[in-house]
Amino acid sequence: MSATRLAERPVTRIRPPKGWFDLALPEVWRHRELLWQLMLRELKIRYKQAALGVTWAILQPLLPVVVFTVIFGGFARFPSGGMPYSVFSLAGVLPWTYFAEALRRSATGLVTNSELVRKVYFPRLAIPLAGVASPIVDFGFGLLLLFPLMAWYGMAPTWSLLTLPLWMLLTLAFALALGLWLGPLNVRYRDIMHTLPFVIQIWMYATPIVYPLSMVPEKWRSVYSLNPMVGIIEGFRWSLLGTGHPDMRAVSIATALITIALLGGLIYFRKVERSFADVI
Amino acid sequence: MNDNIALQAEGLGKRYVLGEVNARYDSLRERLAGMARKFVSGSRATTAKQQFWALREASFTIEHGENVGIIGLNGAGKSTLLKILSRITDPTSGSAAINGRVGALLEVGTGFHPELTGRENVYLYGAILGMRKAEIERKFDAIVEFAGIPKFIDTPVKRYSSGMYVRLAFAVAAHMEPDILLLDEVLAVGDLAFQRKCLDHAKELQKRDATILFVSHNMFSIKTMCERVIYLRDGRIQHDGSVQSGIELYEKDCRMSALAWTGMKPDEWPIFITHSELLDEQGVPRALFDFGEKMKLCLTYETRKPMDSPNFIVAIVRSDGVPVCNYSTELDGIDLGRVSDTGSLELDLPPLKLVAEMYSISVLIRAKGFQEILCGQTVATFHVRHPLFDTHFGVFHEPASWRIQGAVTLGTGK
Repeated sequence: MSATRLAERPVTRIRPPKGWFDLALPEVWRHRELLWQLMLRELKIRYKQAALGVTWAILQPLLPVVVFTVIFGGFARFPSGGMPYSVFSLAGVLPWTYFAEALRRSATGLVTNSELVRKVYFPRLAIPLAGVASPIVDFGFGLLLLFPLMAWYGMAPTWSLLTLPLWMLLTLAFALALGLWLGPLNVRYRDIMHTLPFVIQIWMYATPIVYPLSMVPEKWRSVYSLNPMVGIIEGFRWSLLGTGHPDMRAVSIATALITIALLGGLIYFRKVERSFADVI
Repeated sequence: MNDNIALQAEGLGKRYVLGEVNARYDSLRERLAGMARKFVSGSRATTAKQQFWALREASFTIEHGENVGIIGLNGAGKSTLLKILSRITDPTSGSAAINGRVGALLEVGTGFHPELTGRENVYLYGAILGMRKAEIERKFDAIVEFAGIPKFIDTPVKRYSSGMYVRLAFAVAAHMEPDILLLDEVLAVGDLAFQRKCLDHAKELQKRDATILFVSHNMFSIKTMCERVIYLRDGRIQHDGSVQSGIELYEKDCRMSALAWTGMKPDEWPIFITHSELLDEQGVPRALFDFGEKMKLCLTYETRKPMDSPNFIVAIVRSDGVPVCNYSTELDGIDLGRVSDTGSLELDLPPLKLVAEMYSISVLIRAKGFQEILCGQTVATFHVRHPLFDTHFGVFHEPASWRIQGAVTLGTGK
């Protein structure tokens, strides 16, 4: 055997788990191809079997916006910051739909991929990562609905649109952070899977999506802003529509909370991922 | 680590807590209720959970280019060992070092998605096994050719036959060119021609100095593939060395293993089997039979006290635990009369109708009239092979007679 062949042999060491701050991120990077393929798989499966295919990515945010526009914009006459209610709510529904999907997939992915977890080795982090990454595509399709609608009402995106990746990253990090905590819990207690849809539904009404932040009484604002999605959704609206301005206090609170949750989530996930194959 | 060493394990052990395994689908509510109960009763003692060592103190060294078979009865710890080495699960104690790229194939086709085409699944599965995209692209044609399904590569795999599915999955895994390949029972699937291909491929890998660790119940493939055998019993390594003596140990344990459900200890048996042999029609001992062949089973028994007309029952049980048929001296109108000391009997089985699979033969001895069980033992295992009839086909196959009406008048030009 040639010496070069020997040199490129990686050495793997297997031993009982110890230590708590080994995030093994290089290991995840080595498996980036798998991450990519898992994302592709989620997308392909989602659109392959549906007769309407990619149209679903547009229908999913469109239908609630129609309902909201009729009920909250039409009947209840909620204020929408001087812009058409449909544009106002769509700019909130799109990022919210992304967040909800990313959270759902990252939290339930370990269980839906239990076959893989039980029979194949790979950094388990790939599953929640693929979970939060794949719905970005749906969000992209959603923008194809928003921009024409804005144009219809004579609105155009401004330079603030350039900050969109920032808001996206913040949402992704938040969904991932929650997924890292909830995913392992879901492995042990399937209750998480059943509770999540209700939580997401209620959470949406605790976030300024169908109503503007200005409708929340001033004295409740600071408590209200503890919900990281408040600052994020307002940020998205500003970025997409170019009106108003992001609530910097809410954004800072959100960023701080998300950073803490994400770091804690990574450590927790790494600590328990070793036992997944035994309990799933 | 010495460059020649592919794999070194030192005192590997894996402990499972039985309570945890059973409680895997428990709900949060139950857990909370349990905590509340504990709190109220003030007891701090955790419930005594049963611990179970699936693997203990496993130490061995394997050099590059060695092919090692891992054998043992069900639950001996073979799969646990492979799971630890492939890093699916962590050891509770001990450590191992692996020098080289590891390919693990514990179940063929895990990660295949039925909605995706063969082509898409090759890329997905390749990535799961740790291949880069460029590598898969380079080997793509070879993979498709190995699987023998070029026509169907763009068809969703849900339309594949189970054979095609398995062939494609194995083809991907076979082409990852690992330094160390961990295989768990994977060659048991697929038809004979394909098994042949897989064995050839394994030999090819071996020539390139690859190391193969191979778990199987099929002593035939162990003999063809391996030059060293590790025999596990109750989680411990009992033998590490020559294939022949490893297989002998395995077969002896197979023969003597008591059937747990009878609830009797072997030393309480008033009568029991001391020796058994499975032969073909020519009287040659064999463990692999073709569909349609006749088997002969020779049994030697010993009694602890004289008894009248014991009923010998020979049961064939499929590897997944399904009992498939029974032969009984009493049902066949044989009366052994008064038996004492030792004796032997021979059973000529009718031509095999069972489909290709692995089976075990158990002997139950009952008192006359299907009364109390006197002893229950597994005495042998064997494989049936057939290119077409497998478990997807049914449990057994027999020809039937057909009468055709109408077809003649319709005519097909013949």
